[in-house]
Amino acid sequence: MRRREVLAGLGSVGVVAGAGAVAAFGVPSFDDDSDGSSGLVGRQHEPYEIETVDAPGSEAGTVTVPAPDQPTFIDFFATWCDPCIKQMDALATTHDRVGDDVLFLSVTSEPVGDTISEAELAEWWDENDGDWTIGLDPTSELTSRYWGSPYPSAVAIDASGTVRWHDSGIKTADELVAGIERALEGGAE
Amino acid sequence: MERRTYLGSLGTVGITSVAGCLGDLLGGDSNPDTILEPPEEEAQYGDYSYQTYGEEFPSFSLTDPIAEEAVSRDDFVGERPFVITYFYGSCPDGMCDALLQHLARIQEDAIESGYEDEVGLLAVTFDPDRDTADALRAYSTERGIDPAAGHWHYLRPEDNETAKTVLNETFGLPLRRNEESSNNESTNETAAGNESSGADGLEYTFTHSALVQIVNERGIVERAYPKASRQRDAVNTQVMVEDTRTVVGVDE
Repeated sequence: MRRREVLAGLGSVGVVAGAGAVAAFGVPSFDDDSDGSSGLVGRQHEPYEIETVDAPGSEAGTVTVPAPDQPTFIDFFATWCDPCIKQMDALATTHDRVGDDVLFLSVTSEPVGDTISEAELAEWWDENDGDWTIGLDPTSELTSRYWGSPYPSAVAIDASGTVRWHDSGIKTADELVAGIERALEGGAE
Repeated sequence: MERRTYLGSLGTVGITSVAGCLGDLLGGDSNPDTILEPPEEEAQYGDYSYQTYGEEFPSFSLTDPIAEEAVSRDDFVGERPFVITYFYGSCPDGMCDALLQHLARIQEDAIESGYEDEVGLLAVTFDPDRDTADALRAYSTERGIDPAAGHWHYLRPEDNETAKTVLNETFGLPLRRNEESSNNESTNETAAGNESSGADGLEYTFTHSALVQIVNERGIVERAYPKASRQRDAVNTQVMVEDTRTVVGVDE
């Protein structure tokens, strides 16, 4: 009986396999019951200002998300997240292809300046060939609004501030560009 | 222990059907023990082996390895609500991180809004062999979690065997250990498995559920969010923060 209960539980909860079985960081079939359109798509959130960091391709300062006058792309990551490192190549390619058309951001909710220094973050960024703006979200407010976990997760917001695309797990550059194009189209409406 | 699980499950069925009937009749919240309305997502209640909406959370007593003290359900009943999840620090696929991110955000919100003393945040490890106090401290540091805060408790069964029993028998959650024998690139200089290794070269991983529960001051489950690592309309960090605030009774 116990075994049955446990197995029943397994079935109902929908367990995600560990380690090798899951290629993406997150859930194997993210779109299973949502038809590919996550519940975040179509939402708008109030503008939120975050700090940016001095690192390759990134200047210290602030940035408002979403950008008031152009589409915004955000990659949510953490330096301790191995799949986020694997994601960097596709992000770099995507940045080369459409980076000029959007506010292109990578955002971490790590306690930068506390347990990881800005210099360590910049070093990680350099090692992984990052060359665009890094934003900080120490309270996870932004991450929470745009469903930034599990890492990496990506979101594309159009120029009017409406979310047009969101997904989690490692993406190819083509997938990222396609997501961003939805935001570009949305902004043109 | 078989009997307990069986009864636990029976209890679930009974309560759920009663709630359903009353809910139909009254067209609204039917449970006098809960603050929140029944969940919209049907998957959030029903015949699960773990406790869901309207059910009494099981009694437990586990050690907080950082505070070095026992933490039990009775510390909260009559005192304050708590949010609980189940994880292991070596989790390679991001699921557990996503769960802890929910709690970390609730911690931030609680501190920002000043209700940090009115809620407990509990994270039960089912891999105590690797999740030692030091490992959990390091894990927290990376993620901006303050495990020394009075409201935050890692709960650590004494060993992995006990942890599996506790998860299955007490919390009603399935757990399966998977040996990772192939392409193990770890240097293996320490054969004793209680060194916290990185995500690569893990000796073993777990197949586990991704559950977060909110339990009110009466010890009744207000929300059980299944597959909580996958954010969606009914289950996401913001929903959990809002539900926690409502259960705590935070004034807007």
